[in-house]
Amino acid sequence: MSTNRWLATGNYFTSYKDEQRIFITHLDRTFFSIFISLLFIWPLLFKLSNKYMLVIDNILIAIVAIIGLNIVTGFAGLISIGHAAFMGVGAYTVASFARTLGDSHVIITHAWPLLILLSGLTGAVFGAIVGLPAMRLKHLYLAMATLSFQMIFTWTINFLEFFNQGQTIAISNVFWFTGKLGRKDHYFFWYYVLLVVVILSGFMVRNLLRTRYGRCLGAVRDNDRAADAMGIHPGLTKVYAFGLAGFFAGIAGALHAYVYRGVGFESFTLHHSITYLAMAIVGGLGTLHGSFWGPIAIMTLELQMESFAEYAGRILPSDWNLATALKPLSFGLVIVLFLMFEPRGIANWWRIARSYTKLWPFRY
Amino acid sequence: MKNMKWLVLSVFVATFFIVSCGQKEEAKVEEKKEAAEAMVYKLGMCLAITGPTSDAGDPMSKGAKDYFRYVNDMKLLGEDKLECDIRDDQYKTENTKRNFEDFLDQGIVFYLNYSTDSTQSLKKDIEEEKIPTTPASYHAGNLVDADYIFLPIASYSAQAIGLAEYIVKNHTGGTPKVAMYVHSSAFGRAPVADVKKAVAAGLDMEIVVVVEHGKDLDNTAMLKRLSKKGVQYIICQTTQSPVATMLKDASRLGLVAKTFGEKGKITFTGCHYTGGNDLVALAGPAAENFYWTTSFNITSEPGVWTDAQLAIAKQYGRNEKTAKSHNYSGGIMMAQVATEVILRAKARGKKITREALYDELLAMNGVNAFYPVVTVGPVTYSKTDKAGVDTLQLYAVKNGEFKSVGKPFIPEYTGKIK
Repeated sequence: MSTNRWLATGNYFTSYKDEQRIFITHLDRTFFSIFISLLFIWPLLFKLSNKYMLVIDNILIAIVAIIGLNIVTGFAGLISIGHAAFMGVGAYTVASFARTLGDSHVIITHAWPLLILLSGLTGAVFGAIVGLPAMRLKHLYLAMATLSFQMIFTWTINFLEFFNQGQTIAISNVFWFTGKLGRKDHYFFWYYVLLVVVILSGFMVRNLLRTRYGRCLGAVRDNDRAADAMGIHPGLTKVYAFGLAGFFAGIAGALHAYVYRGVGFESFTLHHSITYLAMAIVGGLGTLHGSFWGPIAIMTLELQMESFAEYAGRILPSDWNLATALKPLSFGLVIVLFLMFEPRGIANWWRIARSYTKLWPFRY
Repeated sequence: MKNMKWLVLSVFVATFFIVSCGQKEEAKVEEKKEAAEAMVYKLGMCLAITGPTSDAGDPMSKGAKDYFRYVNDMKLLGEDKLECDIRDDQYKTENTKRNFEDFLDQGIVFYLNYSTDSTQSLKKDIEEEKIPTTPASYHAGNLVDADYIFLPIASYSAQAIGLAEYIVKNHTGGTPKVAMYVHSSAFGRAPVADVKKAVAAGLDMEIVVVVEHGKDLDNTAMLKRLSKKGVQYIICQTTQSPVATMLKDASRLGLVAKTFGEKGKITFTGCHYTGGNDLVALAGPAAENFYWTTSFNITSEPGVWTDAQLAIAKQYGRNEKTAKSHNYSGGIMMAQVATEVILRAKARGKKITREALYDELLAMNGVNAFYPVVTVGPVTYSKTDKAGVDTLQLYAVKNGEFKSVGKPFIPEYTGKIK
């Protein structure tokens, strides 16, 4: 172990336990604590408009979902193109309560943390069920299995009267210790809830990766036959991975329901599943902080493209319909460029930047 | 002498001070006057200018934009101006919600929305913010548990019931067999239950089947199946494109009735978003004898509405397709209603607030009904009636153009099933 626990420029690990530490140096821990404190403090100092608070809330929801997707696709190497449907399962768990008990029932308005947790568990059950084919299927075939879940979900929600045939099911405002949450503080309040969920999810996954099961995920991803030979059950590991992904997606879906104060089928389509996959790729598959970078990058890009298209629409003839092309074009282009030039995603830039600062003033 | 000098200087300084203060006061009064004279009223509109259903949303946005420009250019509100921020949501509810929040931050007094899903999704926010809203979705469900949502024209349910009533009145030889061809969404399904209620309430018609269409490019099998089941009429509640596909297939199969209710053939009818010039352009000759109902006057018929609409479109450089679109009329009409309530509130000396505009909307009935030129009847609202134009007009395609069939009417069964 390095003698200086603040600035350890080099590899001083003497045991696996040492290497598995969450924070390598005290400096890392300090910076992280300051960063987290700032995330909690800034909304109190700079009052953002509801529009931007909603955008930030949306990014945080996506981060929770991508943390789940990264477990199954990034860490376990299993492709899933039905992630939005898992989110939908979580959201519709809340909606089911609203349909059965009424949208202002005490369970929805007061016991919301439990309901969010329950949504996560429902997502996990569905995730594990959908993950069962993963015991026998791989690659494209598995992708088709997850796609079929997306289709089944779409059909079920769209046609069952209980789910209002995909139309919006309203969810009431929740209660906090100060009373019923007003519209003015709605996004502000959920920012803090989401932030806590994101931090807890991040730590959960970080710790998970330090466990035997976490190492199993990587082993199965790299070579499931070799993993099998080492005594790991590849099939169960994959099912667990789907279950965990479903759990985080379910949580994200329930949070989406509460933030948007309603559940509608439109928010959980195949298009959303593809977008989440793109977020995971752009952020960096198989890295925890990639789950943070991806949603931030894609959602910011979308917002910028929207503003640019609006601006361009004012200058260019409206018949050109530039905005229709601009968003999907930029979205596709970003994914292709990342796959070509930076397949490890933004997380790799972060790794390079960190290693540079870690070694500073030495370059190598 | 020295005192005299001081006295003169003091008088000069005092005079200068008083005059300059007076000027400042005058300037302030002038500013206040100007401020009092020229107010800017903010409105927000969010609709699908691009993406799905933008064929309807784009001309609608242009209609609203042009009318608001016209109001400002013609000084219809005196020195006051209307500032309507028109945003594209690409038919995504999440974008609509974000734009809506932005509009609220800007302090809008009136909101114009678009799709059924986004209207339903925003319902709670609209109610809590108490902001008068007119959506371009005419779904009757928008009005359930909503005080501040006002449909511009008759609901889809009223339109479909109107078509059903027309079928029953003009059908000869027993109970007409009808199929409903609807979009697989809240928008499409909206009138199905109400038409069934009308049948249960005594409308002598048999609904053989309700077809929720997908993205099929060929409807041969479906049409043959319907024909085999003896379906004589189809009521469509969807957008133009699937209707055009179906009409082309029906035309190829020789199933389209040449006269209303022709035996052994199918008469195709549709609600507001199924018809218009776009349908004729998409379906070509296959659109012939398609029956369509809406509350709007159309530009393929001469009238003061056509002249007015085309004049506005010309003034703001719109092409012929946009100028003649009934969705362009829809945009104009929504803007007209918003402008009218502001005008009325101003005339009463009220401060232009959401509440004042809401009150004006509720008072828009009886002798206070509003007559926009582009619709076939007056816009009336009250505490119990939140659908604007109750009157409908039936049109049919004749020689490649929609032409009026009969007089404007109000469906009877909409009241009976309430």
